[in-house]
Amino acid sequence: MFKYYLIKTLRNKMVLFWTLIFPLALMTVMKVAFGSIYDMENSIDPMKTVIVTEGEGPYQDGFRDVVSTLSDKDSDNYYFDLTEEKDLAKAKDLLLDEKAEIVFSVKADSIEVFLSEDHSDTAAIISKSVADSFDQKYTMIKDAYMKDPSAAASIAQDISSMTASTKPVENVFDGDPDPYTWYFYSTFVMGIFFIAMMGVALVGDLKADVSAEAMRFSLSPAGKGKMIFYSYLSKLIPCLMITAIQLTYMKLVLNVPLGKDPLKLFAFTVSAIMFSLSFGVICGLFFKGTVSQRANKATAIIMTSVFLSGEMIGVLPGLFEQYCPIINDINPATVMNMTFYNLTVGNSVSGFYLNITKIIAVAALLLVVGALVLRREKYASV
Amino acid sequence: MAKEILTVKELVKRYKELIALDHFGMSVREGEIFGLLGPNGSGKTTAINCILSLLEYDKGDIKIFGKEMSPKAYDIKKDIGVVPQDIAVYESLSVYENIDFFCGLYIRDKETRKKYVQEAIDFVALNDFVKFRPKKLSGGLKRRLNIACGIAHKPKLIFFDEPTVAVDPQSRNKILEGIEELRKGGATIVYTSHYMEEVEQLCDRVLIIDKGTTIAEGTIDELKGMIKKSEIITIEASGVDEKTITSIKEKSTVYNVEYDGRVLKVEAGSGKHNVIDIVNILQEGGYRMKKIFSEQPTLNDVFLELTGKQLRDE
Repeated sequence: MFKYYLIKTLRNKMVLFWTLIFPLALMTVMKVAFGSIYDMENSIDPMKTVIVTEGEGPYQDGFRDVVSTLSDKDSDNYYFDLTEEKDLAKAKDLLLDEKAEIVFSVKADSIEVFLSEDHSDTAAIISKSVADSFDQKYTMIKDAYMKDPSAAASIAQDISSMTASTKPVENVFDGDPDPYTWYFYSTFVMGIFFIAMMGVALVGDLKADVSAEAMRFSLSPAGKGKMIFYSYLSKLIPCLMITAIQLTYMKLVLNVPLGKDPLKLFAFTVSAIMFSLSFGVICGLFFKGTVSQRANKATAIIMTSVFLSGEMIGVLPGLFEQYCPIINDINPATVMNMTFYNLTVGNSVSGFYLNITKIIAVAALLLVVGALVLRREKYASV
Repeated sequence: MAKEILTVKELVKRYKELIALDHFGMSVREGEIFGLLGPNGSGKTTAINCILSLLEYDKGDIKIFGKEMSPKAYDIKKDIGVVPQDIAVYESLSVYENIDFFCGLYIRDKETRKKYVQEAIDFVALNDFVKFRPKKLSGGLKRRLNIACGIAHKPKLIFFDEPTVAVDPQSRNKILEGIEELRKGGATIVYTSHYMEEVEQLCDRVLIIDKGTTIAEGTIDELKGMIKKSEIITIEASGVDEKTITSIKEKSTVYNVEYDGRVLKVEAGSGKHNVIDIVNILQEGGYRMKKIFSEQPTLNDVFLELTGKQLRDE
């Protein structure tokens, strides 16, 4: 029996499409479309940079702070390999000798950027944008100060906020999560959530009022408990295989970071699969109609949940967190996303444990309810 | 008399205000093919589903093999086979895998199951299609697969719920022959249909059901004996006048005469010389007759006379 349930699952092209092919295709499209930009942002080698300041003042100090932040070797935004020089001519010589790629010449109210002859495009873009961005903000704050001197105290704070925004995200919702990585995780979670379709199919195998095939089962003397177990196991094993393929593809082909703790990743994957499978069983049991009608209704819920988790509009979870956090708390796709994100990028260990506990608890509850309803010895009401 | 292996008494099933089965009763004897005949919506499938404990009923008593039937009656279920009206096979499994899967719900021993599955394949003549998926089979072959899945475990009591719906005549004959074979092999068959010809051809005894109630029960001859019409005589004769038709109507065994100016249709009760008497009346009137038919009443006539409506609505 187990063998045939397994064969049936593996030959279910619709489920394989939604759980494996579709997510992998979406991830691949994302990688092809935006991967080069992301890779450029995340693989910039620190550029040899010289800063020459003329005189002392808030403008020079502010810019020096910004560049220093971007020269922190422990930061994710380590762009500049920075040295200071007093003499601009000496700094320019370093450019000529190709010992530096960028020179910032900072005066009382302006910044001049010099580049080596064979400078990279990245060096040109980043040095220019850092200098322009600082200058614009400083001018804006200075104008405000001229109009209202009491605002002077906030100048330093405002300038320092420019550098704070470049610091890495500590928790998923302390700031906007990295949308690129979030998209991959969201798509992976969508694939896992679509495993619910297998849960609906499981009900179609066993409930006589759902399918004519299940009616044959209901008429037979076969033990229900054993068949539920076989059917569940025959779905769980392919699901583990599918997610293993997805994770391998994400890691080896798409270069998506998956964290450094395989055990936690395994725990997350298994609990998310069990949640999705049990959720599908509940949908299959309590919705009305044929197996495909029940599956369609489950799909509608999954799509909505995935949409609200930011699969298509990455800022949605951040907005919900700000204005209505309960939506994130009760949306299964967001909870799974956050768990995955906490595990790999967010570095919020407490967030990971909190969310995985939620997933396991709900999965266990749905599993028990589903098994009890399926196992009831009653008239099928065909 | 053979012992009764299925008895249903006073079965009542309601769907809110609608009474689907109204104190319905039936009994099936060992080794017979029992026909459950009724128009669409008469309660045939509801009765079968109640008997098989797929459907809860409001009142009544159902015994199979002398034991109370219930959803937990596994010792009864192991000896029952069902061929449902809807084709109940998995599209993702091959012909062999489907039969093996459903047989496996009853037979655990692998060797026995293998033998049974092969015998079922031979029985429905699907040997050339064992590796095919159902979607590649024609409607008739699918029906045969549906049958194989229901009988592979060699049940003692088999329910066929309208197994020939949407089947071509050739496949229909094969199915009917197969059912006869099963009976010869010792199985008892309950056969539901709204095709009276099939029931007349196949069944030893028939129960006619309408609006959830038993209308009549007995052998085909017993049922036909329940109605006054025993012969339908059709004669092609042009220009028959009113006087001659009145003469025919006055004959004691004749109770209905219809004439459309060309064809004369006479319904008569039991009488030895009905045809001769009517032909004589027409000859005396000098009418020339082209064709003369005499038919026995069908189950449709039985149904029509007992309920006032046609058995088949299509």
